[in-house]
Amino acid sequence: MSRQFSYPEELKSEFIETDSINFKDGTSVSTSEIWKFMTDEGPRRFPFAFDSSANHIGRLSEDVEFFSGIKRGYLTLSLRDRLLKAHEKGVPIILIQGGQSMDPYYAAGGIPLRPGFVSMWARDMKEGLNLREADRRGVEILESGRKTISIEACNQVAAHAAIDDGIVPVDLIAPYLCLRCSDMAYLVESHRNKKGNVPRYLVDYPIDQKNKEWAVDYMATMLRTLTKKISDISGKETTDKDIREEIKVENKGRQLARELTEIWWSAKLPPTNSTDFYGVPFLANDFVGDPVATVGVLEGTKKEVKERVKHSVKGTGVAEDPKRLYVCGSCVGPNPNHVEKAGAVLVGRDDNWSTVSTDVKVSGDPYENLAKAILSFPYEQPTEKRAEWTAEQVKKSRADGLIFMYQWGCNYQTSVARMMADIIKEQTGVPTTFIEVGELGRMEALEQSENRVEAFIEMLR
Amino acid sequence: MALDTLKKIEEAVKERPQELAEARKNGAKVVGWFNYNIPEEIIHALGLIPIRLGIGGDDRLVEIGARYISTKNCVFTREIVGLFAENQDPYIKNSDLVAVDATCLQTYRVAELIKYYFKVNTLILGVPRNFYLPEGQEYFWKELESFTQKLEEFAGNKLDKNKLAESIKLYNGIRKALKDLYKYQATDSPSIKWREVFDAVHAGFYLDRDKYLSLLQELLKELKEEHGEPVIKNLNGDARILLSGSIIPPKDTKLIDIIEQVGGRIVGDELWSGLNPSLNVNIKEPSVKGIADAYINRVPHAALPYLDLETDGRLKNLKQLIKDYKAQGVIYHTLRYCDPFTFKAGETKDVLKNEGVPLLEIHTEYAGSDVEAIRTRAEAFVELIKNKNILEATL
Repeated sequence: MSRQFSYPEELKSEFIETDSINFKDGTSVSTSEIWKFMTDEGPRRFPFAFDSSANHIGRLSEDVEFFSGIKRGYLTLSLRDRLLKAHEKGVPIILIQGGQSMDPYYAAGGIPLRPGFVSMWARDMKEGLNLREADRRGVEILESGRKTISIEACNQVAAHAAIDDGIVPVDLIAPYLCLRCSDMAYLVESHRNKKGNVPRYLVDYPIDQKNKEWAVDYMATMLRTLTKKISDISGKETTDKDIREEIKVENKGRQLARELTEIWWSAKLPPTNSTDFYGVPFLANDFVGDPVATVGVLEGTKKEVKERVKHSVKGTGVAEDPKRLYVCGSCVGPNPNHVEKAGAVLVGRDDNWSTVSTDVKVSGDPYENLAKAILSFPYEQPTEKRAEWTAEQVKKSRADGLIFMYQWGCNYQTSVARMMADIIKEQTGVPTTFIEVGELGRMEALEQSENRVEAFIEMLR
Repeated sequence: MALDTLKKIEEAVKERPQELAEARKNGAKVVGWFNYNIPEEIIHALGLIPIRLGIGGDDRLVEIGARYISTKNCVFTREIVGLFAENQDPYIKNSDLVAVDATCLQTYRVAELIKYYFKVNTLILGVPRNFYLPEGQEYFWKELESFTQKLEEFAGNKLDKNKLAESIKLYNGIRKALKDLYKYQATDSPSIKWREVFDAVHAGFYLDRDKYLSLLQELLKELKEEHGEPVIKNLNGDARILLSGSIIPPKDTKLIDIIEQVGGRIVGDELWSGLNPSLNVNIKEPSVKGIADAYINRVPHAALPYLDLETDGRLKNLKQLIKDYKAQGVIYHTLRYCDPFTFKAGETKDVLKNEGVPLLEIHTEYAGSDVEAIRTRAEAFVELIKNKNILEATL
């Protein structure tokens, strides 16, 4: 029987003194409501989320005194309800790619979701599941996709299956085709042979495009088309001013995440555990369905982290003198609980960090500005350049080692796993390795990747 | 008995590595290339020697390549990396520049790996995923202009319009000759088999292109003298198979051998290492733009996504080839981890089912461990078609 996690009641009064969360639609949720949700409604509706088994990769942070972590957990667990409510009001829900900028989607009145969030949403459409049941439901959706497309598709096939099987009401499928992933293009195409016939659009990502103005023009044109397609569904006309306003909000999120990370990296002791730190670039890139809300949570996070650094507080769960581990690769990472148990702490990940590290210029043509920013994402550059940037992050974060991690089916990232690891090792002098994750999304049979991660950490120690 | 011209082609291919080495000694430069959208016309017009690189079927090279690229990449890409690691292939050794277009993205990754690990001089041509949209086509045109400028710097001379027009004429001639050859192999009692035509296509990866065209024309003349005009009737009860799917490069004969051994007759292919690059290339003007427009609008490669099933040019071409060559079934070859073709196998099967054409997917690698499993499936498929023929003949 796995252990259920709960927040201690004695923290309630202090927690409800903190700021409420304000949403993009003008509504807000008070900290009392958040506390109630996270201690009563949430555990009833989503018991798996409160399972504290070490193998539970999405486990809530045990650092209960880090209140921003509780709010981040709330945003994640309330996503299902918020999406359904938005969809009912005519807000288009859009499947996109991971690690891309969200500005045009939100500006045009939509809610963009990376495949992981769509899969999570599909799983959460059934309530009351324990960890094992939630795991099984996730695998069933995944297998449905693999059956109709290919066993060799990466886990994002689950998101596409969830749409095709009518589990979640997605209104548009319109990702960027980032360098990060070659599966996405074929998976979007696969919907053309499905019953639902969800509208589709692709924003191409030209490769090897440094100093090529025509690549910027190409992308800017596609971003205009994308915005129009979303506007057509949302019924909201999108002006250049709307885009600029959205860019400002999201730039703020990106800046906050960068400041926060600099503070975290500069601290003598890791001020939060890996789960709480890992959540920061996620908030500033994916925005969990609402940029206004996440920017607010990021502001609170910054305050808390600063305080902790000032008072030399170490995050709960972090080992004494932990080895610092940087992660790069495809849209997957090691289980933070396993990492900490083995005596290390996660100090960065190139995926969302690439997007967060790039601001969008506000003045001028917003589409051109977005195109320029998007085309400069370090993660999406040719591999040698990407590796150089990652090596810089390894140095800045004072990492002791780097893991290039990729998931089953991600042949575009796996192809350069060794090359990335070799270049970064050469440029930083830190040990590097590359590890395949075959069980992403499952909470069983984790030994292969767990052993590899632990052995690497043991070597660092 | 093999046709005389086929023997000549075979001899010419054997002599080609030595010819290339000598040409390089005399100052010629060789541009090896991979993928689907590199326009040889431009390379040729600049006085450079184009060679289409890459072979398959060698598990030893796959293992060598896998030291650098992942085992989750297709065997063709692993073998290419192995070729560069070993550096024994005469065409790899004789390439002064390796040009790669970003159609198949795994092949693009190969370009990054060989540049980093083996210090190969590479040149990349971007290819739009939204190839059918005006903005995508404009992007490709600009990309090809930039690519051409870099080739000009490499060649040390500028692209001349007249020379380009001559090259286009030459390549149009090659494409027409290949299409004519395919008609002959599909007739009822042909003097030339599909496999020999496929080998002749591959000879064109290496041979001097002027010499290649004259050999193809000689071969066509020989066939015409023996057969007259090719007429495809499908009267003799063969199990007529069209090959489609992932690349089958030179030296990868595993599936072809099996199909022939179990009594199937291949009557055509829809492969990017076969007929496809010769189809629907309509160059309207001798310019970079003319070539860009023609290449991007020809039969699309499966690596380029297309969002509407009804108007998909790849499927339209597949259906047309089935009709033209009176194929009765499709063997759809997918290499493990070749996502562009593997992900579309089910859909292609559905589409052809509506046309009354059965499809057998063979998902494989270069290892020999699945030969018997493939044989069983191919044999059953061929038998199914033959039985259908017998049934129809008795009605």
